[in-house]
Amino acid sequence: MSVVTDSPVHSSGSDDFAAYLNEALDENSSSSSSDEEAEGKNEFEDVSRNKRRKFESTEETEGSTSEGIVKHELVFAESSVKVDVCTHPGSFGDMCICCGQKLDEESGVTFGYIHKGLRLHDEEISRLRNTDMKKFLYSKKLYLVLDLDHTLLNTTILSHLSPEESHLRNETDSLEDVSQGSLFKLEHMNMMTKLRPFVRTFLKEASEMFEMYIYTMGDRPYALEMAKLLDPQGKYFNAKVISRDDGTQKHQKGLDIVFGQESAVLILDDTEHAWMNHKSNLILMERYHFFASSCRQFGFNCKSLAETKSDENEIDGALAKILEVLKQIHSTFFDKLEGDLVDRDVRQVLSSLRGEILSECVIIFSRINHDALPTLQRVAQKMGATCLTELDPTVTHVVATDAGTEKSRWAVREKKFLVHPRWIEAANYFWQKQPEENFGLKKTTNNS
Amino acid sequence: MFFHIVLERNMQLHPRYFGRNLRENLVSKLMKDVEGTCSGRHGFVVAVTGIENIGKGIIRDGTGFVTFPVKYQCVVFRPFKGEILEAVVTMVNKMGFFAEAGPVQIFVSNHLIPDDMEFQSGDMPNYTTSDGSVKIQKDSEVRLKIIGTRVDATEIFCIGTIKDDFLGVINDPTTV
Repeated sequence: MSVVTDSPVHSSGSDDFAAYLNEALDENSSSSSSDEEAEGKNEFEDVSRNKRRKFESTEETEGSTSEGIVKHELVFAESSVKVDVCTHPGSFGDMCICCGQKLDEESGVTFGYIHKGLRLHDEEISRLRNTDMKKFLYSKKLYLVLDLDHTLLNTTILSHLSPEESHLRNETDSLEDVSQGSLFKLEHMNMMTKLRPFVRTFLKEASEMFEMYIYTMGDRPYALEMAKLLDPQGKYFNAKVISRDDGTQKHQKGLDIVFGQESAVLILDDTEHAWMNHKSNLILMERYHFFASSCRQFGFNCKSLAETKSDENEIDGALAKILEVLKQIHSTFFDKLEGDLVDRDVRQVLSSLRGEILSECVIIFSRINHDALPTLQRVAQKMGATCLTELDPTVTHVVATDAGTEKSRWAVREKKFLVHPRWIEAANYFWQKQPEENFGLKKTTNNS
Repeated sequence: MFFHIVLERNMQLHPRYFGRNLRENLVSKLMKDVEGTCSGRHGFVVAVTGIENIGKGIIRDGTGFVTFPVKYQCVVFRPFKGEILEAVVTMVNKMGFFAEAGPVQIFVSNHLIPDDMEFQSGDMPNYTTSDGSVKIQKDSEVRLKIIGTRVDATEIFCIGTIKDDFLGVINDPTTV
C-alpha cells in the first residue's frame, strides 16, 4: 500500500475502494447472523477502518487541485456507464456477463457443457452463430454433431460381459497412450469401451471439413471420459461435449445449444427419434454392437462381434462409408451449389444426395408387416424410389419377406429383382444402392 | 484481496480422538474442514496459520461428542468489485474467456475484450489483435478488473473486464 503516496489518483481511488469494501461487507453481513460471522465482521471492519485512516492521512498531504480532477473523472465515468443500458446478453453465476449486475430471474439457455454457471440469451446466441457462420463458411467448414454410443463406439458394464467375451478382459489396451488402442477397460466406471474401427481416421479427416461436437444421451462424466479416449489431445472436442445433463428437453437432443446455424449442421446418430425437430439434418448410422449386452438391449439374439472374435471392417465399415458421404456433401455444398454461401442449406444437399440413391428404382412391397410398411416406404421414397401398390411393368424391385407370394413369384417370372427389406435399410445406411444378389430371398418360406 | 483474520468455529469431535493427541486431532480436523471452503463474507479460506485458543469442551448428551469453540488465524482471499487481479486463462472460446485467480473463477465476455482483439478458432483458440502482437490463449496471464462477484457455498464467480487502460495480457506463454 506504499504506492498510494506517490499518486493522488490512486489514493483517492483506493479510498473510494475502501468505502466500497465497507459497503460490500455490510451488505453481506446483513444476511448472516451467527456469532462466528459477527466476530469476523469486527475483524474486517477494523482492517478497513485502519486503512481508511491511512488513506485519509495521505490525502491531507496532497494538493486540492488533483482531488478535483479525480472527482471530475469519477463523475464522468459514472455517467458514461449509465448512458448505455446493458441488455444483459447472458449470465455467469447469475451475474450479467456485460455489466456484472446481479440478475434475479433465470433466463436464457444454459451452457453447462462449456462452463458451469454460464447462460446465454437467444439474441446473443444468434449473434454468435452469425459471426461464427461467416467465419466458418469462409474457411470452408460446416458443423458436425456426433453421437457416441453405437455410432463411434460401444460400451458395456463389466459385469454384463458374457462368458464368451471374458477373454476381452485380458486384451484391453493401456490407458497411458490411448491414441493407439481401441479397447479400454475403465476400472473406476466399471465399464469396457470399444471404439469403432476406423474412428480415428474418421475424426481426423472429418475435423478438416467440420467443426465437431459430441452429443450423447450419456451423463457428463461418461461423455468426458469417452471424449478423452477419442480425442486424447483435446484437438477436436475442446469444450464441445454435450451430454444429457445439458439438453434443454428431456429425452430429446436439440441443436439449440450448438453454436451452428441449422442450415450448416449435420448430425450423425443411430437413434432417429432423439432428433425429432432436426430429422432433416440427420444422417442415420448403422448401430455398432460389439458387446453382447448391447445386442440384447436392442433385441438381437445373434452372437456379438466380441463373442465371435471379429469386428467391423476397417476399410469398408460404416464409418468409412459415411466419411465418403460427408466428403461428398461438403464438396457439393461449397463447390457445386450456386449463390451466396450464407444462403446455402446443407439440409437440401443432404436430401438431394439421398434422393439419388434409389432414383431409378420402382418398388412394390409384398407381405411386409403392417407396422413396418410405412417406415420402409418413407425411407425408400426419401432415397428417390417410386413406390407402387399395384403390379406394373415398370416395377424394377419387389421387396418381400417371403418368396412364395404372388408378387414374388411374378418377380421371378418377369426377371425382376426380388429383395429382402434389408436391402432398403442397407442402402439407407451406406448411401449406396446395394447389390441385389446379396439380399435375395430363398425359395423356402422359413425366412424371417 | 487477501486478509489475515481470526475466525471462530465450533468443532465437534468424536470421543475416539480423545487422549494425548486431542489437540493435534482438533487442529488437523479444523484444517480439513475449513481450508478450501468459502463464505460470502470472508471469501475463500486459503490456509489456517495458527490457533488462537481452544475453549472448554462441552459434552453432548447422548452422543458423547464434544464441542470445542476454536479461535484460529487464517488467510482468506476475497475478490471485490473494482479490484484489479492477475489471473491465468483456463479456457478461450467465442463467448469470451475463463480465467482463474487461485480458487476464483472469472469470466471475461467478448463484450469486455477490446474491440481490436478478434477470436481465432483452431487447436488453440485465442483472441488476437489485428497485428498479431497481443494474444490471449490458454495459460496466458492476464490482468483484469472485477466488475461483479457472486459467492456460492463452495465457489466464487466473478465477471471481469480487460477493456480498460493497463489491463490485458501480462505475459505470453508461447514466449516463455
